[in-house]
Amino acid sequence: MYERLAQLAINDEGFIFDPLTGQSFTVNQTGIALLGGMKRGEDELQLAARLQQTFDIEEAEARADVRDFIEHLRSLKLV
Amino acid sequence: MDARCIHAAVSGINASDNPAPGVGVAKSLRAVHDYDWKIAGFAYDAMEPGIYLDDVFDHSYMVPYPSAGHESLLDRLYYIHDQFKLDIILPTLDAELPFYMQSESELREHGIETFLPTREQYRLRAKDKLAELAEKTGLELPPQIIVSSYDELSKAAAELGYPVMIKGSIYKAYRAYSLDEAMNNFAKIIAQWGYPVIVQKVITGEEMNVIGAGDGEGGVLGLVAIKKMSVTELGKIWTGVTINHPGMIRAAREFVENTKWRGGFELECMVDGDKVWLIEINPRFPAWVYFATGVGVNLPAQVVKQALGLPVEKRQEYETGKLYIRYTEEKIVDMTVFQNMVTAGES
Repeated sequence: MYERLAQLAINDEGFIFDPLTGQSFTVNQTGIALLGGMKRGEDELQLAARLQQTFDIEEAEARADVRDFIEHLRSLKLV
Repeated sequence: MDARCIHAAVSGINASDNPAPGVGVAKSLRAVHDYDWKIAGFAYDAMEPGIYLDDVFDHSYMVPYPSAGHESLLDRLYYIHDQFKLDIILPTLDAELPFYMQSESELREHGIETFLPTREQYRLRAKDKLAELAEKTGLELPPQIIVSSYDELSKAAAELGYPVMIKGSIYKAYRAYSLDEAMNNFAKIIAQWGYPVIVQKVITGEEMNVIGAGDGEGGVLGLVAIKKMSVTELGKIWTGVTINHPGMIRAAREFVENTKWRGGFELECMVDGDKVWLIEINPRFPAWVYFATGVGVNLPAQVVKQALGLPVEKRQEYETGKLYIRYTEEKIVDMTVFQNMVTAGES
């Protein structure tokens, strides 16, 4: 689903390097967790459930945050 | 040639804020320990920093500018050959290439090799001829129109739509957002570099570069793709990172295979996702050539080995995510070297 993510080098500290473009990014621990889920093929619902488990938030907020994160990645052409 | 010691001369040894490729080329040769090296630097000015890098160059010589004339330069080369016993000359500056390409056979008769593109290859990569090359090799060129008058400029810019790049066929490029700007830039270019001028549509994307060398038979001696992370006010790379963009690598290979390119080159591209636009082809190594050497693809050494008939291992792999950091270093030297360069023309 997110084939482009497979090309990225992501370390445990949230540093991301894109060998295709030379661009680099950083994400926080939440971002690391979401990227890990996306690389494992989890869909938006599963990713939102992951956020809900970690942070005590409502499903709607979790899904909105996941969508926002994915759109951000899309704007950077990482998905 | 001594089988174990290669005598090479390298030009373009100015390592200032607008560095030439020569120091990087010479450092790359020094990085090869299978052979011993005697490396001479060719300088146009006694203050060129390469002259004073005695860990890189064994000897330096002043050489006349190409404008001094064919015979003048050849006489100087034969004098240097008598002293230094040259096996190969590696010119690294655009302005020198026509002379060395023209003199290749004659130099070879005297035992001096070069490894440069043919005249046809050199002609094809000229900025005003790139469309022909792009068609032959399947590379894509941004829409452009060649112009030689203000009237043609005006029509071309209107047809392509602003902003446009106004580019000299030899050097210089300016972005123009209006007809006034386009005309001013056109005037600047023709005053210094003459006609024709290229009007090119501005392409969005990331600037990326590929350095490589061709074996003259369609084979690639090595390729490295990079992205410049920061540049100086003069637009010269200061930091960079190795990348692997399949489209760009493929474009570079097609360029070499289709032209049977001989020697070093640099492709300048604009990349937007999978789309690769060819902007320029430099017919020699760029000043950042040592970056490729540092990641294991020693292109100057490959070129020397190919030219001298020595075994060549065509190294293709390199690691992405390797950083290039250029920095300023200082050296304190005795005045003697400068005196010798000024009075005797050699160190």
